[in-house]
Amino acid sequence: MYKETTSSKIVKWTLIGISIAFVILMLLLPLITVIAEAFKQGFDIYAKAVSDNYTVKAIWLTLEATLLAVIINTVFGLSAAWSLTKFHFKGKKVLTTLIDLPVTVSPIIAGLIFLLTFGRQSPIYPLLQDWDIKIVFAVPGIVLATIFVTFPFISRELIPVLEARGNDEEEAAALMGAKGWTIFRKITFPHIKWAFLYGVVLCAARAMGEFGAVSVISGHLRGKTNTLPLHVEILFNEFQYVPAFAVSSILVMLAIAILIARSVIEYKGRKKI
Amino acid sequence: MYVELKNINKHFGSFKASDNVSFGIEKGKLIGLLGPSGSGKTTILRMIAGLENPDSGEIIIDGKVINNVPASKRGIGFVFQSYALFRYMTVFENIAFGLRVLKKSENEIKERVAELVKLIGLEGLESRYPSQLSGGQRQRVAFARALAPNPQLLLLDEPFAAIDAKVRQELRHWLKEMIAKLGVTSIFVTHDQDEAIEVADEIIITNKGRIDQIGKPLDVYSKPKTAFVASFFGQPNIFKDYNKFHSFDTVPNVEQAIVRPEFVKVTKKNEVQKFKNSAEEGVVTDIAFRGSGIEITVLVNGETLTARRSFDEAAIAVGEKVDVFIYRLFVTVGENAFLLENKSLREPVVVI
Amino acid sequence: MKRTNRSVIPGFGLTTGITLTILSVVVLIPLASLVMFTAQMSFDEIIETVTRDRVLSSFRVSFTTAFIASLINAVMGVVLAWVLVKYTFPCKRLIDGMIELPFALPTAVAGIALTALTADTGLVGGFFAKFGIKIAFTQVGITVALVFIGIPFVVRAVQPVLEKLDPAYEEAAGVLGASRSRIFWKVIFPEIVPAALTGFGLAFGRCLGEYGSVVFIAGNKPFETEIAPLIIMSELQEYDYASATTIALVMLIASFVTLFLVNLIQTRNTRILKGGA
Repeated sequence: MYKETTSSKIVKWTLIGISIAFVILMLLLPLITVIAEAFKQGFDIYAKAVSDNYTVKAIWLTLEATLLAVIINTVFGLSAAWSLTKFHFKGKKVLTTLIDLPVTVSPIIAGLIFLLTFGRQSPIYPLLQDWDIKIVFAVPGIVLATIFVTFPFISRELIPVLEARGNDEEEAAALMGAKGWTIFRKITFPHIKWAFLYGVVLCAARAMGEFGAVSVISGHLRGKTNTLPLHVEILFNEFQYVPAFAVSSILVMLAIAILIARSVIEYKGRKKI
Repeated sequence: MYVELKNINKHFGSFKASDNVSFGIEKGKLIGLLGPSGSGKTTILRMIAGLENPDSGEIIIDGKVINNVPASKRGIGFVFQSYALFRYMTVFENIAFGLRVLKKSENEIKERVAELVKLIGLEGLESRYPSQLSGGQRQRVAFARALAPNPQLLLLDEPFAAIDAKVRQELRHWLKEMIAKLGVTSIFVTHDQDEAIEVADEIIITNKGRIDQIGKPLDVYSKPKTAFVASFFGQPNIFKDYNKFHSFDTVPNVEQAIVRPEFVKVTKKNEVQKFKNSAEEGVVTDIAFRGSGIEITVLVNGETLTARRSFDEAAIAVGEKVDVFIYRLFVTVGENAFLLENKSLREPVVVI
Repeated sequence: MKRTNRSVIPGFGLTTGITLTILSVVVLIPLASLVMFTAQMSFDEIIETVTRDRVLSSFRVSFTTAFIASLINAVMGVVLAWVLVKYTFPCKRLIDGMIELPFALPTAVAGIALTALTADTGLVGGFFAKFGIKIAFTQVGITVALVFIGIPFVVRAVQPVLEKLDPAYEEAAGVLGASRSRIFWKVIFPEIVPAALTGFGLAFGRCLGEYGSVVFIAGNKPFETEIAPLIIMSELQEYDYASATTIALVMLIASFVTLFLVNLIQTRNTRILKGGA
């Protein structure tokens, strides 16, 4: 690079100034607001709001939905990545596009389609009634909607890594007679470890915070189908601002934890290459 | 025949990778599959290994048709062009992998790996990862890994392609020696004619999915059967009308003539030329120094020919008039190639 | 589905089977039920629903706010990416990490935080209120929320392109005597335009469908600050599934078109990047 002139220095620091101002105003200030509002009336009120029975139930439901979404998407992501990168078959392009589809769908529509599929006007609704299976306005619906909105999160981290690496090592192992599971565990997985963890973190972040889709399908039954974000909404709409922000602060802390985990994983992943 | 291919055909889409390929290989031989890129040599290797399946035809190893035997059960060692070493395993674990799959005991594995590490001369590096090895060392590990389960047939895909020139030379000799010592039947793929000639017991030449010629390196080199093989070796000069040069028999329907540099003798006007009468006059247009001698380009009868001279011979300058004598040339008729000798070679020589 | 070539690597049947099964249950069947549901409606019904004044105005609000927010993001995103790639300054890593916040922070939390911040009683809202400018519960507020949601899309699209930009490129232009601003506009800017457009498209697609962060700050006044996803939501609460589905279909088509355009730009972009290198 050549020498910095005075004018380029001005440009540099102006741009840095604008960027920092933007980040503080748009990103940092909302975070601070949540914490400040949560503790506005002291720690006791905060502690009460956080340990409220409904809050605790919402935490558990959020964790449950997140965990299930991560598990299903892990199974899906690993399978799809293996199938799409190790083999050639017709319809591969279509499949890839279909996997990416859910992220382009509005969360509200994501909720709506499950309502239409399993709700009262669905052709299979009588069947579900007979078997006493509740999906809409119940936990299974929430889990399904959560899986939908996070659907490609793991597979799309894995596929580029596997594609860039080729299949030589797997072929070599298969030639020597290694079984599929051995090949995956010993040869493939070490390569995709960090990308996989990265995908899991992204998936978890979106799953625990999903609002629109879950909002449509949950029916807002407090203590039963309320996840943390839905609980925040209810509290906020009831003008219970301090509890609303107190519950939000839990999510803020989770978000920060996720950001840190993301950075660490990205750093470690880069170092390995 | 230990390995035999019978009427193998293979398409990739509309691309014909193997066109009725048939050949046989004797046990213990080291075979070079030689051809330009896209000629189908790697496809043949991958079909023998079971990495690809032929559309039709039979692959026979040790008397058994193995088309439907899965790759892992064929008892074949395969060395990939990229080596495909397991990057997250040490040298030891890489070599041990095939043995672990066979569920050998830990003692057996240790013994066998130690033996192979010694064979490839990498003692002390067992706990290194592939990324900590040089290109040549990686190649040796890939070789050892393929040999560990004692395969009856070893296949090597462009084994020297990823190695720099100097090390490649050493590795060629090393590999030839190793394979001779172990006596394992081996087939390697290469696009490098020197490599094939130097390493292989026998060469199979592929061209556009077909086998053009099979034979000992010297035979393939000096007695090419097809136009393609004749033009593939050396840096040949190719021209249409060889009748410009006298003292060659006339063959009907010749399409082109191929002259290799070693078929041409260039002498200065004042030097002794045994076949002076049959030599033609040419003008030197270019001189290039090669590591082993001087390459001279001359214009004779409107055609450009290259020839070699050693450093010991008198220097020649660009623009100098010289005598050019062509010992022999190949002529092609359709797909076939014929060798024509200069008639003067048969005539009694009068030395002046 | 048939494999065109048998591979030695095992697991084709198993992994493809799992992939197709989960894909069908989670994505294909639900999306198909949306199509089936609309197929039962007459064309006139559909037209009648989407041309209702309130629906039309919600489309207008959705599209304008999403467009303006994405435009702001396109500019700010390029600035942020530039600063993060080309300069070193204190806290750079922290800022880089913060960019990802909108991906990690639940939208509902972002929504109530931005509302509290920009309401007349809030820190920022109070400041602007002195000049008679309202942010929360206006279209400005919606735009602010959408800027928050969309910013990482542009930054993350432009950053890798700037990182890969060969410094020799700029140096070559510098050696030729071009001024810095000339180098930027003639050499670097054309390189980052496709990436910025991609980011813009992705942000726009996301903003169109955004619900959580907007619902609190919008105020949801019909004809003024009611966005399309909100209309769908309120139709659902009134159990008018037909209207909800129809509006959803329009939004779905809009986001698919956006995605298609983004893909077009991206394909062209990779072709230039790979072909040029």
